[in-house]
Amino acid sequence: MARDSALPPERLDEILAWLNSDRDVAASIYLQLRDGLEKIFIMNRCSDPEWLTDETFDRIAKKVVDLRQTYEGDPKLYFYGVARNLIKEDLKKVKTHASLEELEPQAIDIEFAEETADLREECLHSCLQELSAEKRDLILNYYAKEKQAKIDHRAELADRLNTSVETLRVRVYRIRNALLKCIEQCLDRKVPRK
Amino acid sequence: MKDETGITEALLRQYLLGNVDDEERQRVESLFLTDSNMQERLLAIEQDLTEDYLEDSLSPADKQRFLLHYAQTPKQQRELRITKSIKDWALAEASSTHATPATVTGVRTVRTWLRMKTLLVPVAVAIIVAIVVAVIWLNSRNKRLAVEQELAQLNTPASLREVPSQMTSRDLTPGTFRSSEQETEIKKRDDIGIVELRLPLVQTERYSRYQAEVRRVGGDEAFTIRDLPAQNNDVRLRLPAHFLYRGHYLIRLSGINSSGSVGPAEEYAFAIAE
Repeated sequence: MARDSALPPERLDEILAWLNSDRDVAASIYLQLRDGLEKIFIMNRCSDPEWLTDETFDRIAKKVVDLRQTYEGDPKLYFYGVARNLIKEDLKKVKTHASLEELEPQAIDIEFAEETADLREECLHSCLQELSAEKRDLILNYYAKEKQAKIDHRAELADRLNTSVETLRVRVYRIRNALLKCIEQCLDRKVPRK
Repeated sequence: MKDETGITEALLRQYLLGNVDDEERQRVESLFLTDSNMQERLLAIEQDLTEDYLEDSLSPADKQRFLLHYAQTPKQQRELRITKSIKDWALAEASSTHATPATVTGVRTVRTWLRMKTLLVPVAVAIIVAIVVAVIWLNSRNKRLAVEQELAQLNTPASLREVPSQMTSRDLTPGTFRSSEQETEIKKRDDIGIVELRLPLVQTERYSRYQAEVRRVGGDEAFTIRDLPAQNNDVRLRLPAHFLYRGHYLIRLSGINSSGSVGPAEEYAFAIAE
């Protein structure tokens, strides 16, 4: 859950200045860093990744003026250090609760959704139309096979595009990520989340 | 496969499944934050892992770990559903490219329908509207034909010779209802089935046949009764009572000469009261 209070503007400015002297570049790094930290909290199965990301920035905001003078090295690693501490604190809290509720995955039914499959397909269709023909063909071709057959298929596809399977995978990841965001926004417009 | 960081794909997969020690974890995570290539590489491998889960290719233990990391929040579950939709769509596209028409699956048909829906819905709506309009038009045309038939039947020379019991007769004077000082008013009664109107001929020229156009003032429908004979100095016109509603009516009476052309018209007005 995100916090109600945002960073004070002067602190945010200090953080941006610490990340990069060019404000535009700094803003881009800031957003990437937020996403990265949230992902790390998720990967560590923390209780509230969004809140912990805000907390990381809050803690650093309090020291950022001094840090800019004294810290040497990539500031992102300092953020990671703070995040590690928060992960440990969060894990302690989780362990306290672990005896009460076992850490088994809940039964998941991913088919159960507020949005219908039809609606999802409608959004997928319209978002596919927003992609360039080249990107649309690439992502549909990439996912055209499954299981064992997909390995050869993707190797052939990479060969045809004169690239490596790893590079192909990253290219498809970028397309899929854009597609995913578009579909999520489309679904939110049609079925606002409660 | 290793890159310059020395981190293998297998290690990244294990990291994503939460299956690495703390040292490896910190190494992967610090690179994930500081190296944009590593970030994309890791997320692309996560995408593969999601695919493996959706294809049910993970071992039971990995599947459990996957669910713990990637299917706990509503947002994660929605992402899984969307990824599944993308895969299903791509598979259906691929199979339809290779399938013969007879083997095209139901899924494919539904997909095609979904794609066509945006085009088909307005077309379907237009067709339905056209059908409704056509039905209304046919219905009103049939009603009109029935009225015209009834009017023609009532005004044949043979019918005009008869004097039905439920008939009332009125003499009209020429002139429009605006100009007429004393407009003839006819009260509708249940015992009156036919209203006979006697239209005096004021023009000097006489014709063997006449036609009368009857119109309700303010209405947009007119009925024409043809081949009315003249008798002495007037033309009799019979109208069924159910044809008449409260309001003013105007009759235009014209003579028809032997060549079939229509002569000048004379107007008569009357009113129906209830």
